[in-house]
Amino acid sequence: VCVAGYGHSGGNEILQLIPPPSLQVKETQGLCPERDFKVECGGFSTRPVYSLKYVPDTSLLVTSGPPDSSLQLWQVSAEDSDVIKPLSAITTGNGQPWAKIATLSTRGPWVLHGSRVDNVRITEVESRKNIYTAASRSSEELGGLAFLDHDTLLLCSAEGRLLLGDLRVPPSPLEVVSVPWVPSGQRWCMGVGHGPPGSASTSRPLLCLSSGGHLTLTDLRKTSEALAVVKCKVPSPTSHGDFLCVSWAPALESCLAVSGFDGAVRVYDARGWQGSGWEAEPTFLHRGHAVGGGWEGSGDPPPSVTTHTWHPQKARTLLSAASDGSLHVWDWVPPGEDC
Amino acid sequence: GAGQDVGRSCILVSIAGKNVMLDCGMHMGYNDDRRFPDFSYITQNGRLTDFLDCVIISHFHLDHCGALPYFSEMVGYDGPIYMTHPTKAICPILLEDYRKITVDKKGETNFFTSQMIKDCMKKVVAVHLHQTVQVDEELEIKAYYAGHVLGAAMFQIKVGCESVVYTGDYNMTPDRHLGAAWIDKCRPDLLISESTYATTIRDSKRCRERDFLKKVHETVERGGKVLIPVFALGRAQELCILLETFWERMNLKAPIYFSTGLTEKANHYYKLFITWTNQKIRKTFVQRNMFEFKHIKAFDRAFADNPGPMVVFATPGMLHAGQSLQIFRKWAGNEKNMVIMPGYCVQGTVGHKILSGQRKLEMEGRQILEVKMQVEYMSFSAHADAKGIMQLIRQAEPRNVLLVHGEAKKMEFLKQKIEQEFRVSCYMPANGETTTVFTNPCIPVDISLGLLKRETAIGPLPDAKKPKLMHGTLLMKDNSFRLVSPEQALKELGLAEHQLRFTCRVHIQDPRKEHETVLRVYNHLKGQVVLKDYSVQHLPDGSITVESILIQATAHSEDQGTKVLLVSWTYQDEELGSYLTALLKKGLPAGTS
Repeated sequence: VCVAGYGHSGGNEILQLIPPPSLQVKETQGLCPERDFKVECGGFSTRPVYSLKYVPDTSLLVTSGPPDSSLQLWQVSAEDSDVIKPLSAITTGNGQPWAKIATLSTRGPWVLHGSRVDNVRITEVESRKNIYTAASRSSEELGGLAFLDHDTLLLCSAEGRLLLGDLRVPPSPLEVVSVPWVPSGQRWCMGVGHGPPGSASTSRPLLCLSSGGHLTLTDLRKTSEALAVVKCKVPSPTSHGDFLCVSWAPALESCLAVSGFDGAVRVYDARGWQGSGWEAEPTFLHRGHAVGGGWEGSGDPPPSVTTHTWHPQKARTLLSAASDGSLHVWDWVPPGEDC
Repeated sequence: GAGQDVGRSCILVSIAGKNVMLDCGMHMGYNDDRRFPDFSYITQNGRLTDFLDCVIISHFHLDHCGALPYFSEMVGYDGPIYMTHPTKAICPILLEDYRKITVDKKGETNFFTSQMIKDCMKKVVAVHLHQTVQVDEELEIKAYYAGHVLGAAMFQIKVGCESVVYTGDYNMTPDRHLGAAWIDKCRPDLLISESTYATTIRDSKRCRERDFLKKVHETVERGGKVLIPVFALGRAQELCILLETFWERMNLKAPIYFSTGLTEKANHYYKLFITWTNQKIRKTFVQRNMFEFKHIKAFDRAFADNPGPMVVFATPGMLHAGQSLQIFRKWAGNEKNMVIMPGYCVQGTVGHKILSGQRKLEMEGRQILEVKMQVEYMSFSAHADAKGIMQLIRQAEPRNVLLVHGEAKKMEFLKQKIEQEFRVSCYMPANGETTTVFTNPCIPVDISLGLLKRETAIGPLPDAKKPKLMHGTLLMKDNSFRLVSPEQALKELGLAEHQLRFTCRVHIQDPRKEHETVLRVYNHLKGQVVLKDYSVQHLPDGSITVESILIQATAHSEDQGTKVLLVSWTYQDEELGSYLTALLKKGLPAGTS
C-alpha cells in the first residue's frame, strides 16, 4: 500500500507500506505482529502528492500534484536502501492545475496523463518518449482518465463530458460521447470497472460521480441513454472536488463505493438500478474517520476522506484515507448476515 | 551489541575523557558466548574498572541487563553501576530466573551463579528520577521517566558542558499502567535512541485491544479456555487491567487466573513503586488499588483441569518451561481453546515453533503433541515508533542523533527524515563501529566588574547598531578563564606596565599668539557634536585636554604665521587621538576666537 502527503508547504512523505499479514493474500505463517503496517521504504516530496501510480514492469513510481501538470518520477528502493529516490520530472508544457494519471499493466511502462483535454498524452516512462498526444483543442479541465483497454482511452472532463481516444489511429481526434442527462454546474470524476482479469473493460458500466452527489451508470456500448442516474444522500455538495472518488468492487458483482463528501465512505449495491432522479440508500456507511480519532475536542473541522480503494482479493475489504492522516482498513457484513 | 541488531544492548560512550557503558544486555537468540556483548572492544588487556567510570542500566529487560553479572563478576568490574530503584529491585529476580532455566534446565556451564548475581547487585547505586548524581567531580548523570516497563529510565550523562542522552527502550504514548516518556529541553550534544519499531506504523491501540478482547470473548463464549503466556513483569499488568475492565463492563462470569510465583511478587512491586505508574493509577489508588483485581484470582495447578471456560495468565512468556508450558500441554488438543502470545519468542522455544505454524511438537520423552487449539499473536510491546522518536527529538533538541537497535537497511529513510526535519546529523553504527561526534563546547569566561564598568563608562554608550570593541586581557589560571583590564592583569602577574604615547604635529595657519590659537582650538572642539560627551578642558597652563589627550600649541620655529599643535595620546586612546588629529588637520574654521 502506498500513501503520500498532500500538504502545500512541502515536507510530504511517500511511504510504501507492507500491510499486516492478515491483510495479505499470501498466508504467511510466522512471527509477525498481527496488526501493524511496516514502512518498507519512504521518500520525500516537496510538492503535494495528489495522484500516485506504480509504473507496470518497472520499479518506478509516478506522482503528480499542484502547481502544474508535470509528473515526478521516483525509483522505489534498491536492495540496500529503503529510500524512494526522486529521479526526474516529465513536463508537459504549462498545464494547470495538476495531472491525472493512469496506467495499464498490459501496456508496460506507459503512463497516460494530463490536466486538461488538450494536454493529454501517453509517455513511455523509461525513454520519456511521447507515444500519443490527444488531438483536441478543448481546454476543459479533466476529472479523470483511464485506459479502457489496450487501444482505447477514456477521458472524463470536469464538466462531465466523456471522450474516447483510439490509440491505433494516431492522432485521431477524440470522439465525444454524448451524455445528455448529466446535471450541469458540478464537478465530475469517473470510475472504470475492471472486472476479473480477461473480461472486457466494458463489462461493467462506467461510473460518473459529481460534486453534488449525482451518480450515473453508463453502458459505453450504448451511450444514448444512461443505465441509471441516482442521487447519493450527502450532507452538502463537496468543495473538495479533488477528493471525489468512485469505484467498483473488483470481487463483488455489483458493489460500488463513493467518497469525498465528508468523513464517510458509502458502499452501494447497484443491482437492479435503473431510471433517474431517485435517491439511493447505501448498503453500508463507514464513518470511522469522522468518529473518534481525537478531532472532536480540538476545534478542527472533521476530517474528510481523501480517497478509497478496494482490496484486490478480499471481497468486502476497503482501504480509505482521510485529511487527518489516518488510514483505515475495514470491511462490513451485509445486512441479514450474522455479525 | 544493539548496533543494527536487536538484543544484547551495550553501548560505550567516551565523553570529555570519561568512559561510560550504557546497558549490558544479553542476546536471547544465542546459546553460546555470542549471547554476551564482546567486552574486548573496550580494552584488550587493561582492567575494565580502570577504564570505565561507570555503568548505567536503563531497565530490567534481559536484553539490557542480562549480561551484567557475567560482566561484573566473570569478566571483572568493580566500579559503580547505576539504575533506578525499581530496576534494582527487579533485575536480580529476572536474572536468577533466567539463570535457573539456563543452568538447571539446560545444563549449561559457562554462566553466572546465584552468588554472582548477589555480588553484582552490591555494586549497584540506585537513583531517583530527575536527581543529579555526581559520579565524580566532573561526571554527572540524571534519570528521566521512559515509560516502557516499570522503572525504565532514559539517562543524561554530562561532563562540563557536553552531554549525551541515552534512551534505553522508551514509549511516547501512555498506556493503562505506565505513563509516557518525558524529557526536558536539555539540548544534549548527542541523543542515542532505540529504533526497533522505527519502521512500524502501529495500529491504533483501541483497535488492537478490541481485537484482543474479541478473541478472548469469543473463545470464552464457546466454552473454551484461553492461555496467555506472559513474563511476570511488563505487559501482563497491562492486559490484566484491560481484561478486568472488560469483564466488569460486560458482566462476564468466566474466571480469570494469574499464575502464582513470580507474578505475586510482580504485583507487589507495582504497589511498592506506585509513583512509577501512570497518573490515573496513582489517582485511583486511594480509592482502589488498580492491581487488586476483582475478577482475577490466583491460579492453582489443579484449576487447569476444571471444565468450562477460563482465562489464564501464566509464566514464562515463550512457553519454554514452567507452568505456562504445562497448561499448554493440557489444553493444546482441544480446538475450542486458544493461546495468545503477547510478545517476541526466541528461536527454539515452543512459543516460536507454534507461531511459525508448527502443529506437531516433539516434547520430552519423544512424545508428540498435536496442537489443535487456536494460536494467535498480539503484539502489545511498548516501544516508540517513528512518530514517537520524532517526538522525543523534538522534546530534547539534541545536536546529533544516533540510532541503535534497528535494522540497518530499514533506517536510511528515518535517518533522512530526522536530518531534514531537525537539521541535525544522524548516525547508525554497526556493532563494533565507532562513531565520532564533534561538539562545540562553550567555554565560560568571567569578566571582572571593574573592566565592565570601565568600558561602559568611556566614550559613547554601547549601541545595538554599532558594536563597540572592548579591550581586556584573558587570564587562564587554576582551570578558570577571566577577562580583566590590562592594568589588573599586570598587577596580578607582577609585570610592569609600559606606556606607549603617540604625538602628532598639526600645522595651523594662524598669525596670532599661541594662547589665541589655543582658544580657537578649544572653542572648535567644544563645538563638536561628536565630542559633546567627552570632557574637553582648557587648562591654566595653556594646554587643552580631551579626556586624557593633550593638545598644546607652539609657534613654528621659522614661520611666525604658523602654529604647531602637538597632539599627544596614549595607546589606549588611539581612536580618539586619530580622530582629533584628523579633525585638526582639516583646519580651524575662520572666526572662532
